[in-house]
Amino acid sequence: MPSATKTRDSSAEDANMEDITPPSAQPVVDSQEGGDPMEEDGEDNELGEEEEEEEPQRVRILPGSTSTAASFEFLKEGHTLGNALRYIIMKNPDVEFCAYAIPHPSEDKMNLRIQTYDTTTATAALEKGLQDLEDLCDVVSEEFWTQRENFMAAKH
Amino acid sequence: MEYDTMMMDGESLGPSVKISAADNTHVDFELSNVDLSFANSLRRVIQAEVPTIAIDLVEIEANTSVLADEFIAHRLGLIPLDSREIDQLNYTRDCDCDQSCGKCTVTLTLHAKCSSDEVMKVYARDLIVGIDRPNNHIGNPIITDPEGQGSLIAKLRKGQELKITCIAKKGIAKEHAKWAPTAAVGFEYDPHNKLHHLDLWYETDKVSEWSVGIPTIRLFPPPRLTAGYRPKSKYAEWEEPPAEGEPFDYDAVPNRFYFEVESAGMIEPDAIIQEGIKELQRKLAGLIHGLGENDDMNGDYDGPRSPDGIEGGAPWQDQGYTTPYAGAGNTSAWGGGGATAYGTTPYGNSGSAGW
Ligand SMILES: [Zn+2]
Repeated sequence: MPSATKTRDSSAEDANMEDITPPSAQPVVDSQEGGDPMEEDGEDNELGEEEEEEEPQRVRILPGSTSTAASFEFLKEGHTLGNALRYIIMKNPDVEFCAYAIPHPSEDKMNLRIQTYDTTTATAALEKGLQDLEDLCDVVSEEFWTQRENFMAAKH
Repeated sequence: MEYDTMMMDGESLGPSVKISAADNTHVDFELSNVDLSFANSLRRVIQAEVPTIAIDLVEIEANTSVLADEFIAHRLGLIPLDSREIDQLNYTRDCDCDQSCGKCTVTLTLHAKCSSDEVMKVYARDLIVGIDRPNNHIGNPIITDPEGQGSLIAKLRKGQELKITCIAKKGIAKEHAKWAPTAAVGFEYDPHNKLHHLDLWYETDKVSEWSVGIPTIRLFPPPRLTAGYRPKSKYAEWEEPPAEGEPFDYDAVPNRFYFEVESAGMIEPDAIIQEGIKELQRKLAGLIHGLGENDDMNGDYDGPRSPDGIEGGAPWQDQGYTTPYAGAGNTSAWGGGGATAYGTTPYGNSGSAGW
């Protein structure tokens, strides 16, 4: 059970943090900050590259999720991403339900709920959503530039 | 491009842009065949997340003017600085340097002393831009007035002096409004309020009170007296008004969005749109990257945590593998290491992804 081992490692870290501070929203952030530098070091040593510094983990799956019904927590994201992502994920015919929420205005977090049919998984739907939104951005960007060129040409 | 999904619900043509006016400081356009959520994301991102450069640190060596140091520091921060090709400048927090360097900051100095009996005005043009910077325009004060003076910083009387060193840094308006690339962003849709997203207040008669032809002066583009529909939007002329007695269509969604972007001068208005979209894509790319890389996400996912969120004092290890998610002997796609959804993504889990 290779992943089980991995799981235990990361949760052991969580547990350490939990011992110090009471279980609130805070330890989650702590554990991520605490966990990340290690990951970074490991990578740097392994690859010996001066890869850009790794940001703290931005997305995680919230407890209680299953493969086809998951809640994701995004750090440092808000309505800008949340609403557009929700829309594009709902466009996916394999998705049964998608919604987002910002649980508290003074916490810089955005939660996204995805429930899919058996044809896909929630994580796959999220990945597809991110990719689709990026493609949509490409299309709009290209269209805007084309129209701008046309407008400028017509003006002169 | 997995874009076919967009072809549903009347968006058959794909996103379309129609530019109605543009000059050095404005661009007015209509964005159609996209969802309200996307149009609003674009509005939000161009207002708050397109990076620019602005004065962030001010060192005051001499200030014998009547204005307090912090007052002047604040005014300096608000001076628009040339932010074209901002990609060439690092965020100071991402830079390799200790405090600041030519790759992440631009230094501006100001030295003015009034020696005449007349009041001396100190303008943005009096700022001297340091040479250590990525290109020769970034950080230049924006000067658009015919006199070529730029923003007024302070007035000095005889004998008064200002000697100041400023460090300008890259930032976004979400952190401080001085980094906002836009002076204003107009955003509207459904000028006839057919969708009833607004509940327009009226005294006695909705129609006459909301569409009186009050002569209005349109300032842009070219100033002109229009027998305008005030307070109705000028875009009301662009869309069909509702027919008499037309039933409310509860399935209708907004489809045409009218943007009026006004630049503060740091970046051209059309570049603001481009940069905004780029910024959205940067967000997405970062998340796709993070998603592919983080096996930890699985950890939280099938980890020995009770789905009921009982985290209290129960030791992790002992309680582990009794939850519904891990109990199945890792036969689910989520359980077994190499068999996780992530194990098979092109992003791998070694951190060697090409991003
Ligand atoms: Zn630097």
